[in-house]
Amino acid sequence: MRAAVNDRVVRLGSAFLVLMGLTASRALAQVPDSLAGVSLSAAYGAGNVQLPLAFKPFEGRFGGGPTVAPQVQGIMAKDLKLSDRYRVLDSLPASLIGSGPLNYDVWEQANAKWLLTGQVEGSGTSFVLRLQLHDVISRSVLQQQQFTLPAPTSPDFRMAVHRVSDQVVQWTHKEPGMAATRIAYSAGTGGFKEIYAADSDGENRQRLTNYGNLAMSPSWSPDGRRLVFSAVPKDADQWGIYEMDMSTQRATKLPIVREGGLYSPVFDPRGQVIAFSVQGGTRGGLYTYNVDRRCCLTNLLESARIEGSPTFSPDGRWIAFETDRFSTKTPQVMRLPATGGNAELVSNYTPGEGYYTSPDWNPRGDQVAYHGRTTESGSFQIFVRTIGGPLRQLTSEGNNEDPSWAPDGRHIVFRSVRRDGQGLFIVDTITGTIRPFMTGIEVRTPDWSSSIAAGAGGL
Amino acid sequence: MTHRQLMVLGLGLTLGVAACRKQPPPAAPPPAAQPQTPTQAPPPAANTNNAAPGGRNTGPAGPTAAEMAAKASLEAKVYFEYDASTIRDDAQNLLRSKVPILQANPQVRIRIEGHADERGSTEYNLALGNRRAEAVRQFLVDLGIPGDRFTILSYGEERPQAMGDNETAWSQNRRAEFVITAGEPIRAP
Repeated sequence: MRAAVNDRVVRLGSAFLVLMGLTASRALAQVPDSLAGVSLSAAYGAGNVQLPLAFKPFEGRFGGGPTVAPQVQGIMAKDLKLSDRYRVLDSLPASLIGSGPLNYDVWEQANAKWLLTGQVEGSGTSFVLRLQLHDVISRSVLQQQQFTLPAPTSPDFRMAVHRVSDQVVQWTHKEPGMAATRIAYSAGTGGFKEIYAADSDGENRQRLTNYGNLAMSPSWSPDGRRLVFSAVPKDADQWGIYEMDMSTQRATKLPIVREGGLYSPVFDPRGQVIAFSVQGGTRGGLYTYNVDRRCCLTNLLESARIEGSPTFSPDGRWIAFETDRFSTKTPQVMRLPATGGNAELVSNYTPGEGYYTSPDWNPRGDQVAYHGRTTESGSFQIFVRTIGGPLRQLTSEGNNEDPSWAPDGRHIVFRSVRRDGQGLFIVDTITGTIRPFMTGIEVRTPDWSSSIAAGAGGL
Repeated sequence: MTHRQLMVLGLGLTLGVAACRKQPPPAAPPPAAQPQTPTQAPPPAANTNNAAPGGRNTGPAGPTAAEMAAKASLEAKVYFEYDASTIRDDAQNLLRSKVPILQANPQVRIRIEGHADERGSTEYNLALGNRRAEAVRQFLVDLGIPGDRFTILSYGEERPQAMGDNETAWSQNRRAEFVITAGEPIRAP
């Protein structure tokens, strides 16, 4: 729903940076050990450069209507703004840009580095978008491609345009985008929660389950065609794990026979195996299960403690998870080989200190995001730990939980209760900007999909 | 106060049960409950429609005061310390008081529901709620009640009994509840 999205970007103003600095030094004075080596999000690298990209109004017609060209352009302009990689110039006055043939002088005067031009043509169920990326300074076409897109009435239309946006990111930055993705989450009021999903731009919000009780912890398959989640439907005895086919939006309970509550399933990078947590019963701990073959339940880690919230490394070799093995009051993030074996710490454990849960491995494989706090009275914040390296704190206001990386390896969606309200927020780990994604709802456990494959359905 | 809690309170209202010791009962339809001090023993002579003074049942269908007290005692909640699933001393006494009732009612099945306060992660709190409910079941099993009479269900932090961002609310939310799923009516031991 359009109304649920707020484009306002909360920028780190200079006053806020000073405030963060004060907060950091105060915290450092109180708990020197737990914050040693933590760099607050004010320090950013060279990626914090947003070069100006302009749109020349897209031209052409689809069928008899003139509306599809500006519609495509509008979706793309929003995607590229949300990517945080550009300063998007998409509303220059017509008197300035004119309507004639391309004149680079105009775009140079507008201070654009890049320029996108596009023409649509076609009728019926699909149309063609011809797209060109220009370098305004060198007055040349850097890239051009022809895309066949479904008609705007198709449920796949917006996601197809999002894929074009990601192609532009690939052209300019040689990195994956995040436009052609969805975010699944659990939401609801009064102690009831169902699984929902929305596109990366907040559109196409859908409720996916109707269990009348609790459903949590959705996790996308790598191709976006399936979801797994944990749920206890009304009148069910215990939490189980469910798999949903997104093309039909039908879910089935996985036939995993294991005493106890089954929580927080997550797909492996190949989309065949899930890892999940079993709490209670005679053999709790971390398990894997082959979803494709409906077989091969494997106990990776047997424990009567809490061993939860598993997340795979992108090469599939490791699983990071939360554990209270040191103390129920100071859960920590550890990792173990995905085939089982000895666990090692990911968070920096100092006995008696820290509370770190809900890890999510980044797509590049070198960092794990998690949330936590350094003192028992402290608020919960989002952290990013470089494996074997430094720790960065990404948030400082309110309470923030359940981080999930976007496939661009740059953005993180998380649950927050803060001055701007409660809901899902997105932080750009390069610039440090935080923007609301969906607010005014009681929400849990977001999961950001990989790029949604064409024809994945359910959109 | 949640709708669910109102219903739970409504069931036990006429007895002013120990389960509500942390919170006064809300205004309720008649017959009004007489507030009573927290006690593990069945309260004497509660005022109800069906029970005459002395606890004798005046109607053919309704439960006696002793039976209602037994049910309330069976449903009385236990509370936990922060981030802990160990059974507190007061909870041990309360759980022991359930044993003779469970023994007198071998047909009864109970769902032990574990809850956590809002601090900490969603998934960690689900696990913690599960662990609290398991700890309660194990305590009762150790006192001789067969474990298969109980099922375990965690609600994590999703069903708070008290709203508020403070220890008073949190302490009421770290709890285990007891829902009778089969075997009613309850006989007094």
